[in-house]
Amino acid sequence: MTTSPPAAASPPTADPPPSSVPALEMRGITKRYPGVIANDHIDLDLRRGEIHALLGENGAGKTTLMNVLYGLATPDEGEILLDGKVVDIGGPSDAIARGISMVHQHFMLVPVLSVAENIVLGLETMANRVFLDLGEARRRIRDLAARFGFDIDPDAKVASLSVGQQQRVEILKALYREARILVLDEPTAVLTPQETEEIFVLLRRLAENGRSIVFISHKLYEVLEIADRITVIRRGRVVGERAPKETSEDELAELMVGREVQLTVDRGVSDPGAVTLEVDALRVTDDRGHPAVREVSLQVRAGEILGIAGVAGNGQDELVEAIVGLRSVAGGRVTLKGKDITGASPRHIHDSQVAYVPADRHRFGLILSFPITDNLVLNRYCDAPFARGIIRNDEAVLAEAKDNIAEYDIRTPSATAPVATLSGGNQQKLVVAREFDRDLALLVLDQPTRGLDVGSIEFIHRQVIAKRNAGTAVLLVSAELDEVLEMSDRISVMYRGELVATVDGRTADKNEVGLLMATGGKAKPDAEWTQPIDRGATT
Amino acid sequence: MHIKRASVALIAALTIAACSGAAATPTPLPATPTPAPVVTPAPTPAPTATPVVTPAPTATPAATPTASPTPAASTAAPSPSASSTLKIGVVTDVGRVDDKNFNQFSFEGAKLGATDIGAAAPQVVVPNSADEYASDIQQYVSQSYDVIVTVGFNLYSATVAAALANPNIWFIGVDQSICVDATGKDDPTFACKGDPKTLLPHYIGISFEEDQAGYLAGIVAASISQSHIIGAIGGINLVPAVVRYIQGYQLGAMATDPTVSVKIGYVSKSDFTKAFADPAGGQTYATQFIQANKPDVLFQVAGSTGNGVLQAACTAGIDGIGVDVDQWGSLSAATDPTYGCIVTSAEKHLSNAVEASIQQISGGTAAGGNVEYNATNDGIGVSMEQDGKGLITPAIQTLLDTALAGMKAGSVTTCPTTCGQP
Amino acid sequence: MSVAQPPDRSLSGRIRAAWGIVALPLLSILLALIVGALVMILSAPIAGKPVDLGLPLTAYGALFQGSVGNFDAIIGTLRTTAPLLLAGLGIGLGFKAGLFNIGAQGQFLIGGIASIAFAQLVHDMDPLIAIPFALLGGILGGALWAFIPGVLKATRGAHEVVTTIMMNYIALSTLSYLASGPLKLPLSPQPVTAGVGNAALPILLGRDGHLGILIAFLVVPLVWFLLYRTTRGFEIRAVGANPDAARYAGMKPRRLIILTMSIAGGLAGLAGAGNILGVNHQMSASFSTTVGFDAITVALLGRSNPVGIVFASLLLGAMRAGAPLMQIEAGVPVELVDVVQAIILLFLVANAVLRRFFRLRGVSANLGTTETMTATYGSEAIR
Repeated sequence: MTTSPPAAASPPTADPPPSSVPALEMRGITKRYPGVIANDHIDLDLRRGEIHALLGENGAGKTTLMNVLYGLATPDEGEILLDGKVVDIGGPSDAIARGISMVHQHFMLVPVLSVAENIVLGLETMANRVFLDLGEARRRIRDLAARFGFDIDPDAKVASLSVGQQQRVEILKALYREARILVLDEPTAVLTPQETEEIFVLLRRLAENGRSIVFISHKLYEVLEIADRITVIRRGRVVGERAPKETSEDELAELMVGREVQLTVDRGVSDPGAVTLEVDALRVTDDRGHPAVREVSLQVRAGEILGIAGVAGNGQDELVEAIVGLRSVAGGRVTLKGKDITGASPRHIHDSQVAYVPADRHRFGLILSFPITDNLVLNRYCDAPFARGIIRNDEAVLAEAKDNIAEYDIRTPSATAPVATLSGGNQQKLVVAREFDRDLALLVLDQPTRGLDVGSIEFIHRQVIAKRNAGTAVLLVSAELDEVLEMSDRISVMYRGELVATVDGRTADKNEVGLLMATGGKAKPDAEWTQPIDRGATT
Repeated sequence: MHIKRASVALIAALTIAACSGAAATPTPLPATPTPAPVVTPAPTPAPTATPVVTPAPTATPAATPTASPTPAASTAAPSPSASSTLKIGVVTDVGRVDDKNFNQFSFEGAKLGATDIGAAAPQVVVPNSADEYASDIQQYVSQSYDVIVTVGFNLYSATVAAALANPNIWFIGVDQSICVDATGKDDPTFACKGDPKTLLPHYIGISFEEDQAGYLAGIVAASISQSHIIGAIGGINLVPAVVRYIQGYQLGAMATDPTVSVKIGYVSKSDFTKAFADPAGGQTYATQFIQANKPDVLFQVAGSTGNGVLQAACTAGIDGIGVDVDQWGSLSAATDPTYGCIVTSAEKHLSNAVEASIQQISGGTAAGGNVEYNATNDGIGVSMEQDGKGLITPAIQTLLDTALAGMKAGSVTTCPTTCGQP
Repeated sequence: MSVAQPPDRSLSGRIRAAWGIVALPLLSILLALIVGALVMILSAPIAGKPVDLGLPLTAYGALFQGSVGNFDAIIGTLRTTAPLLLAGLGIGLGFKAGLFNIGAQGQFLIGGIASIAFAQLVHDMDPLIAIPFALLGGILGGALWAFIPGVLKATRGAHEVVTTIMMNYIALSTLSYLASGPLKLPLSPQPVTAGVGNAALPILLGRDGHLGILIAFLVVPLVWFLLYRTTRGFEIRAVGANPDAARYAGMKPRRLIILTMSIAGGLAGLAGAGNILGVNHQMSASFSTTVGFDAITVALLGRSNPVGIVFASLLLGAMRAGAPLMQIEAGVPVELVDVVQAIILLFLVANAVLRRFFRLRGVSANLGTTETMTATYGSEAIR
């Protein structure tokens, strides 16, 4: 949000400088934090009308660089040039006034307000001293929307919009502020494949209109599809600049991680044993009481991975939350190794050798303000040796933490650092370390690699395969179709709260499964279905 | 939540700072060019209507009953003790010093007393909470004060203990009646075996005969009532002083007009906050009371809850009678709708009592023990009508004078045998 | 992206770390004193007095003298500190669990009246029996008073801010009823309770250094131990920091809410019992105090940390203890202390303003308690 009116912005179209001069140039940007060089002499230039992808692992320094651009961090060295002129960006409002806008991963929208109200928030045009002139704002929003091909109703309440539409509101907000440089921080992380396609169309149109776009991502195929140029950074340095035509996913991954990465983990052969998890006609409702899981039945055997494919919001979260005891069951039965665990407490289920990696690690998986040590024993804190009676044993907790940190390669300066200081990948490794570090009958994974970089994904996939090979039954829910296809021994497709098909993981056809995800294999959409509350994604 | 409270505190502090200097001056009223203002005499010499009488307990003022004696300062200022070195300190009850009530008028009395005897202006401490009473008194003791005035019954226990521990310091306890055992300690059994005069010779416990003030108010109420229905609203019937006021009011009214019907109500049966510190609640209660009982005069004995009662009376267009202090003065802000409907107030002459005690201490005539303030020593009265309506006619004034004389002579009964009991 | 910062083990690093923790509270206190001084100077003309630039010095001098100027003053400060400390520990514990307990006031009053009720049962027994029994009564009374909002929150989702405020009013009325009814001193013309007999806490030090002060300070390590060394304390902190994660980890947020509220209430009740048994020895129906509200400031200023709360309560206790002398010597009303306290709180809550104004870049933004407070206020912690 900003308070500086657009009037303060230099008119972006008036007197355009020669097109040979880059719209933005960052030269030798260096930013040090105690003990870490986040940006080490980074050079980046952005041409007018260009989509420039910034690629890097979590913690590589992408966000720091963009914070420098947005005035949220002051660089220790280096300079920023806009249209060839050195500028000093004092803060976000200054950045916006200079035509730089950022679309954050987490939308900065007020759900109860309308699209138009959200867009004008902070720079309200006043009809007079008292009343807002929303009419004028609406007219401008319609103009913009028509020009760039948005399909959006200025009077719709933001709460009623889908995630993809909300993102478009954010972009519209930037355009309303006359942005000519747009920074999009992992814009596709929360979108369905269809929505991703739509946003790409929009971004290309913006670029054709002379807007310059910095596209931050670590999804290699997306970057190859959308970008005009790709800059890869690793550990604070630029390690390569490529054009999409002259590179490949493998090369980019290697640049990002610094070593050869196996993008596809060899899943090997599975040797399914007895049925471990059996779900029978399960019904679960969402937070509003609408049915989210409708008569789902499934079986997972020891030593096999059952993948659940589906567009996010089709009841997958509710399904796994019900299995692990976090959500009450409206009907049906959940059996673990023949024992009924329907409606059992999370602790009971945990103690029955069930591990769960939640989709939203910030909400369920971690306590960000707590140290790594405490988070690693978050669900074992009262078991020996971490506690004697009610007295905690800090030494045992610390020893366990040091073991886990070494074994799972969690990169942290100290075992007692707050989890909030870790990168997303390392946070997820922490969750995995905690959940995997014991003998398991069942492993429930919900979006285990969402928002992670390729190195972390590879690591986690290896761990999952290892668990399966050790005889654990694995239930894998992912909105990333590729992940499901690569990992699963069997794949079920979830659509509007139901499992609509189950196919063999090795022979499954991507297009076939994708079609099932999009339509459920039905001609007509189900009228009873209401979209569950989107609780947002986190990285 | 807390911030709100804090900002209230901030405003309150500013207001208090703003008021504390000028609190003493009553609003002079152009409508009544009658003698000097009642109860809160201006420190500057007023044109005295009556000869000055030292309000010593034994002296009987021959003044008109309603007017309290003009303080000694006005005329007898250069007395032998004009440059007293006595250090006087006041500990009020929780609340504010300018509460236009007990705290304020007791402090006024201390200030007047100090001026009378030529001592330095007294200091005042307002406790923040009830656990502070003892330590606040102790602050004065530590600073070698000679006279410590403690205001209100709530400070009684702390005052007894301090008086016992510091026999050389004078204590004046306003609205406190001393009841001690043979060792001089507070007596929880109320046998009162010990003689305060000898055990605590420097502790003056000032109490008032509220029934006499109530009696006078009752005379006024019955006299001005057209409908022969009058009302009284007390805060709670568990406080004897409240009950005594109302019992006196009943007797006074009946004596004046045997046909009068006296309606009585209490705001709360158990909750002291509702009873004495809830003006809004008082207004609601009184509004319903007036609708149900149709009195045309209403007497309040309910602290600041009672201010709401008066508000209701004024709104309903009937006459109100205030309590303890001249409420005409305390509620007479120009914007206050109460303006104009308070006929009189049944008064305890708090200021007089404190002032007199200080004069006695300075003059060496003071004695410890319980001192009852009543008609005999001009400790009670009703305030002069200030609304200019002339409701209190000379005839009523005569009734009041007669009643006061009767009280002094002991020929008028102002309280039944169950005096103070609900 | 967040950059992991390795802890700096050097001396200067430690000093920086310490500064990061205490900078905001210290700055808030200093600024509040300056604003208090301005209020004093500027309010003089409004009151019709001459402007006296030396008044703040006189006033703060007296405040200082009255709080730590001599032995008795120091004991006096400890005496006013004790209830703030106990009630502050309770509120801080609540903050740790994400609960904004406004009810310390009521819990304090009920603790006080309950200690009298219990004391009356054993008033003629040996003090060794009577004292612990009466103190226990106070703890139980306060705990009960907080247990009710705890249950309401856990079972019905009623927000504790609302219910504890309600309970404060009910406490006032209950006190009024008990002091003028069942517990009233027989024959007394006034609504006061009977005394506490042998349950009165002995004076250990000076004129009024009673046993309750010692008890209050002994409770600090207990609360610290509970929070940081026991599994229960871990659960309390986890529920406060992230109730969803706590539930996922198998903890029982509802039960913990009730437990935490009860412990917090027990601490406030003990504060009330200590004051009644140690200082007042009886209660009148109109007993008034500000301990419960001051304790909120204490908990915020101490950042809910037991050690921080010790310092915060000492500061506020000293201001309360010194205020009477400030009134006597400088004629500055006691409300100034409220003003200073309020401004400290304002600065703490509006800490972003301070940080920007003083460019406190390295200073920890993590005002744990205020964040918990704002995060939980009005939001629903349990599902």
